[in-house]
Amino acid sequence: MLEVAGLSLAYATRRGAVQALQGVSLAIPRGGAMGLVGESGSGKSSLVLALLGLLGKGASLSAERMRFAEDDLRAAAARLRGARIGTVFQDPAGALNPALRVGLQVAEPLMQHRGLAPRAALARAVELLGEMGLPRPAEVADAYPHQLSGGMKQRAVIATALACEPELLLLDEPTTALDVTVEAQILDLLERLRRERGVAMLLVSHNLGIVDRLCEEVTVLYAGRVVEQGPVQALLSAPLHPYTRGLLAALPRADRGGMQRLRPIPGSLPDLTRPDPGCHFRPRCPFAAPGCEAPQALRPAAAPEPGRGERGGDPAGLVRAAGVRRVLCHRAEALAGTPWPAEEAPPAARPPIGGTLLEAEGLAKRFRLGGGVLRLLAPRAEVRAVDGVSLALRRGEVLGLVGESGSGKSTLGRLLLRLLPADAGAIRLEGAPVPAEPGPGFRRRAQIVFQNPDGSLNPRQTVEQALLRPLLRFGIASGAAAEREVDRLLELVRLGPAYRARYPHQMSGGEKQRVAIARALASRPDLLVCDEAVSALDVSVQAAVLNLLEELRDRLGVGYLFISHDIGVVAHIADRIAVMYRGGVVEEGPVEAVLAPPYHPYTQALLSAVPLLGRRERAGARLRLAGDVSTPAPARGCRFAHRCPARLGPVCEEQAPPPRLAGPGHVIACHRPLEELARAPHALLAAE
Amino acid sequence: MSAALSAPGRRLPRSLLLGLVVLGLVLLLAALGPFLAPYDPDAFNMRARLRPPSAAHWFGTDEFGRDVFSRVLAGAHHSLLMGFGATAISLAIGVPLGLIAAFRRGLVEEAIMRGVDLLISLPPVLLGLLILAVTEPGLGKTILAVGLVYVPIMTRIARAVALDLLAEEFVEAARARGEGAFHILAREILPNAWPPLIVETALRVTFAILLGSALSFLGLGPQPPASEWGLMIAESRPFISEAPWIGLAPGLCLCLLLIAVNVVGEGLRDLLDPRLKGRGH
Amino acid sequence: MAGFLARRLASLVFVLWAMTVLVFAVVHLLPGSVAHMILGEYATSAAIAALEERLGLNDPLHLQYWRWFSGLLQGDFGVSLTMDRPAGPVILEALGRSAVLAAISIVLVALAGVALGIHSATHAGSASDRALTLGQYFFIAVPEFFWCILVILFFSVWLGWLPATGYTPLAEGGLLGWAKHLILPVATLVLGLIAHVSRLVRSSMLEALESRYVLAARAKGLPERLVLRRHALPNALMPAITVLAVDVGILIGGIVVVESVFAYPGLGRMLIYAIDNQDLPLMMGGMIVVTAVYALANLAADILYAVVNPRIRVGGAA
Repeated sequence: MLEVAGLSLAYATRRGAVQALQGVSLAIPRGGAMGLVGESGSGKSSLVLALLGLLGKGASLSAERMRFAEDDLRAAAARLRGARIGTVFQDPAGALNPALRVGLQVAEPLMQHRGLAPRAALARAVELLGEMGLPRPAEVADAYPHQLSGGMKQRAVIATALACEPELLLLDEPTTALDVTVEAQILDLLERLRRERGVAMLLVSHNLGIVDRLCEEVTVLYAGRVVEQGPVQALLSAPLHPYTRGLLAALPRADRGGMQRLRPIPGSLPDLTRPDPGCHFRPRCPFAAPGCEAPQALRPAAAPEPGRGERGGDPAGLVRAAGVRRVLCHRAEALAGTPWPAEEAPPAARPPIGGTLLEAEGLAKRFRLGGGVLRLLAPRAEVRAVDGVSLALRRGEVLGLVGESGSGKSTLGRLLLRLLPADAGAIRLEGAPVPAEPGPGFRRRAQIVFQNPDGSLNPRQTVEQALLRPLLRFGIASGAAAEREVDRLLELVRLGPAYRARYPHQMSGGEKQRVAIARALASRPDLLVCDEAVSALDVSVQAAVLNLLEELRDRLGVGYLFISHDIGVVAHIADRIAVMYRGGVVEEGPVEAVLAPPYHPYTQALLSAVPLLGRRERAGARLRLAGDVSTPAPARGCRFAHRCPARLGPVCEEQAPPPRLAGPGHVIACHRPLEELARAPHALLAAE
Repeated sequence: MSAALSAPGRRLPRSLLLGLVVLGLVLLLAALGPFLAPYDPDAFNMRARLRPPSAAHWFGTDEFGRDVFSRVLAGAHHSLLMGFGATAISLAIGVPLGLIAAFRRGLVEEAIMRGVDLLISLPPVLLGLLILAVTEPGLGKTILAVGLVYVPIMTRIARAVALDLLAEEFVEAARARGEGAFHILAREILPNAWPPLIVETALRVTFAILLGSALSFLGLGPQPPASEWGLMIAESRPFISEAPWIGLAPGLCLCLLLIAVNVVGEGLRDLLDPRLKGRGH
Repeated sequence: MAGFLARRLASLVFVLWAMTVLVFAVVHLLPGSVAHMILGEYATSAAIAALEERLGLNDPLHLQYWRWFSGLLQGDFGVSLTMDRPAGPVILEALGRSAVLAAISIVLVALAGVALGIHSATHAGSASDRALTLGQYFFIAVPEFFWCILVILFFSVWLGWLPATGYTPLAEGGLLGWAKHLILPVATLVLGLIAHVSRLVRSSMLEALESRYVLAARAKGLPERLVLRRHALPNALMPAITVLAVDVGILIGGIVVVESVFAYPGLGRMLIYAIDNQDLPLMMGGMIVVTAVYALANLAADILYAVVNPRIRVGGAA
């Protein structure tokens, strides 16, 4: 139904034309679903805009073929979009007009393309909102976007896209801005729409897991070119192109545990102003050989035997009927047996985890809601961001802190470092109490690495200045010794001495994050709070930074409080996991124990919502949550009670759940007996 | 806060260059004016009254036979002093107040910001009039009045910039090292705060010159026989039909200066704060 | 919304009260005796003493303030020192004439500024946009008082089309005579402000046109005019309301200048007259009235903003 061949796209910039897409071909049959994956800069979103005919000025598009059903898209896009092609963009908050009621925005395509009168269109919009699983759709239609939560907004956007019953849905990162449990709800919805309406989909995503769950076929895009194409399960279980293989080798997986090091892809994206006529992955490819500099063609490839890919391939041997597989590498078949190489340095032996380093008891923090205006209107409106949390971190240990946005995990990290004043609670470092305004002794030993590589370095300081400051401040070194120490720190994070003179804007995201880590390590701390430290990075870069953090833990014996919303990353790196929900820890324990039954119902829902590769059948056994984190919680009792699918009764709302010991060091705060919780299916493995 | 965090070192836009050249020229003329002037700017010459522009008198003469060109040259420094002096005053008072408000949350901040709210709810001219109404007029008073008018705006901007920066992660990293308020201010905040402040300052100079010369025009600035441009324009009004050059010469110079300052301000904004740039070119 | 209104009204009252204190304090606390100021430097000490006695200047300051303030509350602005008339009616008459000038100007500024800004944004980069941008640079930088000179020179002196100065009441001169005296002052007042507003509307409109919701509206297949009118415009106009409120302040300054040049008998000219002649009751009352007008304009802008912005009007967030 959709057929694109030889599509190329260039943007005029000051530095010359950027080749955003080069010779992209793909086809989606009626009712089919194609995933389009690639890291940032691969050109995925540009392709969506090109299909819609919405490229801005300065973009030049050429294609051999761009057909939608019987129409040429280049001529007919304006007529088709909204009517026969629906679109869902990333970030539902931006895609809805803040000044218009949601109902009108959903009804607009109906008035435009179906010629419905406003009243009839609005009535249909309410129906559509209801079909998207929104409770009280009439109220939602009457609301403005800012009154809805992220998940509700995305449902409204999907309703808009579906209003005219299109044959094709373009989904551009439809769940990226959402929490994992909300993402699971949206994926359920999309799956249902495919089943019930037979709508075809082009799903653009950087997340292989959701592509695996929703699509039959997948196209892998690297720097504007299609490098591999084929049936999703076969392709993901036995990738052929080195880039796809590298991507999978670099991906931390919640269901694989954390024993192995990840295998990152070295280097960075090629310069798209001067595209390489030969294989443009060559500079980063460990298998590059003579012949790679010749132009490559996307050619049909023989499907390899399942199970011969790296990292064990598809354990369940679920490769389905192989469709046509295409690959942009002349050596693909020859390399099928060669594993993706690990990083050169073999992991140092990990020292044993030591005694208790940091202890927190009953930490609490409330925030008043809103600024001046709201404060005057409702003086008592406040949110308990952290509500009586106690935890302990041992020397050289990695404690993973997971939870959805708004769970209070970042606030907890800052409370532990005394960067925010706590309302209540005590902190002890090796048994000695840490005062509210700690002295340099504590500051030296406890440091932090932030999420956003752009914001965490002072843009007006060179790398050298950034690294020297903590050395001087804590009297670690001075003079020539400090200079040497800067070199040593850079070496520690695998950056050459040439980086000393660089400013942040002269470095890539991954490099900046390494400098931020080096700066935090300069004072030789015992404890590092990593607040979403790898979340803003692409998978291939993220793997390198994760490996670095593991290596530093082993060499320096640093303990990490590793805060992340990404269960895969935490499962990979953590020794223990604490699960937070609305300011409280609901479950805590060794990583294997938390990831397997018995679960706190929230943990179970969280884990089963994680889209995993090659485990599509898990979806049936998912523990579904209604609403999102903003769903009000009872004042007393269990903070999860109102969303809990395993709620016992009034006791959940009236009494605080007792912490129960489910195993050595494994605590679950739930009213349900442990035996019942233990009967839950494994959330990460296939249903029995 | 991409404003403050924009990369240092970018190409100078052409318009900025042009504006700087014109502004430099005016500065030069203001400095050298007394030496370049062909006549004594205040000397009466009753035999050469209301002469149109000629080779002897480039910009003509006024009702007392004074050479308008010499007077315009001698008056250049007034406008410059009003623009830059008043802006310097608003900067010197407003920025520290804004930074204090950003750092000392709570009572101090409340007091400063409520005062700012109050002063900002008065129309700027009125505040200037109020200050000048009850004292003897003069250049210094005008500069002071204009400077005070813009203090609340400067305070607000400095506070907003500092608050944005205080929320940045690199400032939090500094706090995680236990750095004191002085280090955070001097090393982390100020180097990143100056681009937006410079931009605001540059745009503010235009308004200061406008307000200052308007007050002079109304007779609340330097007093005759001073050759302040606004005052010269005011004095030219009775002769507008017979000798329009008396008012046109200083007026066009004032326009040139204002456009130059404005271009420099906008150019600096494009250079330092691409986020606010009027896009589309 | 009701709470919002109540708070804005309270702050308005507070600002007005604070302004009375400020005006009073500046006039009475600055060095130099008030009577001396009024009578000039050659006044005899007996004359000064007599005046001080008549004006009650020997009473404690708080008493003087209270006398003046309680008068204000009852609409009594005191007696003009130079006109031998109650200051209140003088001020009110002048205010009425200035209000005509201001109202016409602000309507013109809003209409022309928004229209030109939208045109610039939707034709960004075109010849007309470049011409408008150039014009905006120019008109923002040229001071009003110089515009006055130029338009008088051109339209009154050279062309002789319009009167340079003065004012004819509607009742005397009819619509034409009345309007003739308004054209030049209004034209002078609006040029710079139109440039200012259109520049801002241009940039906020461009920002709206680049937003995700406009992209989403286009992806729905809406025609461009609907995308502009329904999706981009309401969001682009919100900042314009704020800037219009700021421009009322500039407009007040402009009115003071323009009224003096064109000898238009409004509040601005009255203020300058009062300052020049040290007519303190007239000056203080005029300043309070101007502040009140400005504060009301800001209140109106805030309410308008709240009306078009659902975040304030509806409140409640998720």
